Amino acid sequence: MNAVTPHALLRKEDQRLITGTGQFSADAKATGMLYGHVIRSTHAHARITRLDLSAVLSTVGVRQVLTAQDVQAAGFADLPNVLQVKDPQGQPQTVCNMPVLAHDKVLYVGQPIAWVVADTALQAQDAAEVAQIDYDTLDVVVTFEDATAPGAVQLHAQAPGNTSVKFEAGDRAAVDAAFAKAHFVSDIAIESQRLVGSPMEPRAVWAWHDETKGVTHVHTPTQGVGGMARFLAQITRWPHESMEVHTHDVGGSFGLRSTAYSEHLLVMLSTRELKKPVRWVGSRSEVFVSDWHGRALRLHGHIALDAQGHILAMRFENQVDVGAYNVYFSTHIGARNLSITMGGAYQVPALHMSSHIYFTNTVPVSSYRGAGRPDIAYAIDRLIDHAAHQHGLDGLTIRRKNFIPPQAFPYTTANKTVYDSGQFESVMDHAIGLSEPAGFAQRRADALQRGCLLGRGLAYYLEASGPGGAAKDQVRGSFDAQGVLSLHALTGASGQGHETSFAQIIENEIGLPTSAVRYLAGEPEQGLVGNGTGGSRTLYGAGSAIKNLCQQLMTQAKPAIAALWTCSEADIAHAKGEWQEAGGAKRRLRFADWITSLGAQAAEVHAVGEATSGVTFPNGCHIAEVEIHIATGVAEVAHYWAVDDVGLVISPEQVLGQVQGGVVQGMGQAFGEHAIYDRETGQLLTGSYMDYPMPRAGGLVRHFHHETHAVHTGLNLLGSKGVGESGCSGSLPALANAVTDALRQVGAPPIDMPFTPAKLWAAILASPHKP
Amino acid sequence: MKLTLKLNGTPRSADVPERTLLADLLRDTFGMTGTHVGCDTTQCGCCTVHVDGQAVKSCTMLAVQADGCTVTTIEGLGANGLHPLQQAFSQCHGLQCGFCTPGMVMASVDLLRRNPKPTPAQIAEGLSGNLCRCTGYVNIIRAVQQASQAMQGDAP
Amino acid sequence: MYAFKYQRAESVTSAAAALSADDEAKVLSGGMTLLPSMKHRLIAPTALIDVARLPDLIGVREQADHWWVGAATRHQDVAAHVGLQKAIPGLAQLAGLIGDPQVRARGTLGGSLANNDPSADYPAAALALQADIITDRRNIAADDFFLGMFATALQPDEIITGVRFCTPLRCAYAKFKHPASGYAMAGVFVAQYPAAGADHDGWRVAVTGVANSVFRWHEAEQAMAKGTTTPALQHDDVIDDVHAPAAYRTHLAMQMLAQACQAF
Repeated sequence: MNAVTPHALLRKEDQRLITGTGQFSADAKATGMLYGHVIRSTHAHARITRLDLSAVLSTVGVRQVLTAQDVQAAGFADLPNVLQVKDPQGQPQTVCNMPVLAHDKVLYVGQPIAWVVADTALQAQDAAEVAQIDYDTLDVVVTFEDATAPGAVQLHAQAPGNTSVKFEAGDRAAVDAAFAKAHFVSDIAIESQRLVGSPMEPRAVWAWHDETKGVTHVHTPTQGVGGMARFLAQITRWPHESMEVHTHDVGGSFGLRSTAYSEHLLVMLSTRELKKPVRWVGSRSEVFVSDWHGRALRLHGHIALDAQGHILAMRFENQVDVGAYNVYFSTHIGARNLSITMGGAYQVPALHMSSHIYFTNTVPVSSYRGAGRPDIAYAIDRLIDHAAHQHGLDGLTIRRKNFIPPQAFPYTTANKTVYDSGQFESVMDHAIGLSEPAGFAQRRADALQRGCLLGRGLAYYLEASGPGGAAKDQVRGSFDAQGVLSLHALTGASGQGHETSFAQIIENEIGLPTSAVRYLAGEPEQGLVGNGTGGSRTLYGAGSAIKNLCQQLMTQAKPAIAALWTCSEADIAHAKGEWQEAGGAKRRLRFADWITSLGAQAAEVHAVGEATSGVTFPNGCHIAEVEIHIATGVAEVAHYWAVDDVGLVISPEQVLGQVQGGVVQGMGQAFGEHAIYDRETGQLLTGSYMDYPMPRAGGLVRHFHHETHAVHTGLNLLGSKGVGESGCSGSLPALANAVTDALRQVGAPPIDMPFTPAKLWAAILASPHKP
Repeated sequence: MKLTLKLNGTPRSADVPERTLLADLLRDTFGMTGTHVGCDTTQCGCCTVHVDGQAVKSCTMLAVQADGCTVTTIEGLGANGLHPLQQAFSQCHGLQCGFCTPGMVMASVDLLRRNPKPTPAQIAEGLSGNLCRCTGYVNIIRAVQQASQAMQGDAP
Repeated sequence: MYAFKYQRAESVTSAAAALSADDEAKVLSGGMTLLPSMKHRLIAPTALIDVARLPDLIGVREQADHWWVGAATRHQDVAAHVGLQKAIPGLAQLAGLIGDPQVRARGTLGGSLANNDPSADYPAAALALQADIITDRRNIAADDFFLGMFATALQPDEIITGVRFCTPLRCAYAKFKHPASGYAMAGVFVAQYPAAGADHDGWRVAVTGVANSVFRWHEAEQAMAKGTTTPALQHDDVIDDVHAPAAYRTHLAMQMLAQACQAF
């Protein structure tokens, strides 16, 4: 086996990850470490009538047992809900926060009730079994109908009808008026089913308290240490300078590692009280019932068109299941993310949506890859196809007629979102051009010969990337005596390869080779302002700050270059990492060479780059051909073509990797994934990989073709748009439209995801026409 | 209970409770944390190591069952530099977060040992015991193909 | 898992003795079903008697009109056995469809049969191939071995040492894999033996994954004997769950029967 020099690897992250020398949170060892275990509710809805942990405490190896009383005595708050909205009458949302440990009621299977710390993880687990817990079970509600039915059992005394809020956005009157005069009207109710996000690294955290400095160090996967530190400070009510969050390698996140969970707070409390490091690592079965769930949305979309096929209005009535409590981003999803781009890429003069946000006896819901944006993109493009077919119109023609044209940007939507750029028709034509449309009829006939129904579906998605809560993004850059540039920021990668992309930006801007750049973001950076990772904004957010850093470095060094050339600064221009003397000898000097020439003095070169980068609007066209085997209902994606406008591309391989990953997660949702609850008992029936079908290497798309179609955005210095979540937004509607098209051959009506073999077989069997 | 085994070429001994899993022995006793635990139903394959040359799921083996065996973990792969599969995984962007990667690589090594020139379908079948949530598998399959060519001496 | 004592058996006899001395002790072979159950704390054996390295329990051997497979033989070794692939192709094929490659490197025949998971594969082979399950004290015919969900005719301290599969004229196995677990959502093993003196002209069809235990599909056997169409499967205990309603599962059984017969 030949040795490989580092530059032959694609990414800087790879060396440690392919050799098993990465640092994931369950890998760390500390002297005297203790281990925590959570005692969880086995009932979906119950009063705890007895909680006797005395036997637990006296079990071998046990150091501590905590309950809600201890958490309360420590002064901890409940887990936060990030966004609170009002209903149309101005009534504030009823927010029911989740306690770190349950008080006298449990509202979902898996809810944390008590905490045990012992010398070993096995001892803690053994001890937990002798807890004496008595439950008085209550009725369970897991569906919208059951939860909101008159007389249904109430989860929270303050939330009648198990309703958190009925939120509206847009102009109801304008929409009603448009529907009244419409020539064509159509509607479709779709479900974006509850999912288990399941990053491959189970959730984990460990903490230790530095007595001398009065700082608790928390080591855990995050999407940015700053965001997690803020949540921890908010819940513990400890001064923010008394805690530090450290993030090393993160085994996938997709939104689920950006928030503090009960275990974070419990290890922090335990380590301060026991004066030893404390660690908790979840088992996969636990993580199934304790990582926040994703999606769990039902959208009923309505569309009104005039006789020429122009869209007059769209309306969505949404049911947003947030689970047992309002945690973190569920309102953000149900209110903002479902509405901000609810017209998609189309000119829609009137828009309105209502979101009924409600509680059920299930795991609370928060962000999972796309967090509402794939769901609204899904609803929009299914609606357009549905309307087209219902009225004998052509879906492509409707899209063309209604796309926001390039000359209309910046474009303000009917609900006041401002899109900056797009070439929707060109992107769609680009995708169609790749997708061999002329051969489809033959492919369909061939498929039928083989006993399969082949369907083709196209979707045009547009989404809004994350706005970022911080005022700006900053990146600190400093050189060491060897001329290596270290960049520090507050982002949080979980596979996106920031270390590689950001080194690439540096190389692109000032010619410093990527091997001379290190990107570090897992440590608390005092004095830096910036956003964590979420909503697909890091590449353009922190990346723009890096570009600004480069500009500053070039400008900052001018006095030194002027001294070197004994000329005035005014005579020095710079472009792409090189200073140029305007007159005289027209000398040139590259930044990389200058830094090398400084030797140890390079350590005096530093700057803080910054940029303010708001929302961007990634968009694209995805086309899928799905083949359903009639005899078994098994669906395969025969072809998948995707063209995405993600603005300026820094790292083409990583952009492709993000799209592939997102599309396959979309396939997972489309064809099998579903967190299914038993309606009577509230037990999660799909509580492990035995019952929850994760996509595997074998169940794949046969041919996958992706291209980018860059439309520059002026919304940030870099000119890039997000890409991390686009794969989900494009794939759900493309795949669903393809399946719907396939089923249409036998006259079967549209059905909801997941398109499992059992459902597809039954749909074909029940259809009026035989294949 | 005492056990000895050969770990990445070196004889090692341990005395652990019988219920210690091989994955725990590797990670906790021997500090080889490259082998990861991703599930508790023997499905994700993140814990894949080689025992007596075969890829197995170390989370579903007791440490004591490996007594007297030869065990290779990701840390022991590529004694001089990187194994062609490690190189190919990186070059083909077959990893993003890296959590499934050690198990995926170890399973791939065994796959190529059994079938040095697999088709994409055979690769997919050979990796049916390994889950990845980030990559969508497309690049993983390409990586195994590339490594297969490299190991055959073919030009990539 | 809970704590237990572990011993590596020196012989089948000593393993049997250890089992009779402790009625909460269990045999450990591949561990692919036993260890996950223990990890979930569903069972708590006091001791594990490891028989996986006993040479008497390992091997694939032709013997006159049948093949013997040792109880501790790994699935991958059954699947890869060239002689078996020719003589009893369905059996080799089945072994290669169990779980995934890593599971097949460890899992064994004896463990699978003793557990009798309603969705396991081997029980279908045993039933269709007129197997004799050979234990440390007797032979049990497959027709008498599988008693119900996770229930077999084995006594608590009885150890399977091997299985004799009668060599058929021809056979095949078709399996529809559960998209999550990889177990059989429907698995059909079809074997044909000489017609003379045999029920249904020597046809044997066994179905797994569809009901609460593996069963013989007599209507299919009859139909194959007569050359008529097999009627839809009727069974009182068809599994009906969120993954597959009963009607779909029985339909799949039909599909797998057709697929298996394509080999003929």
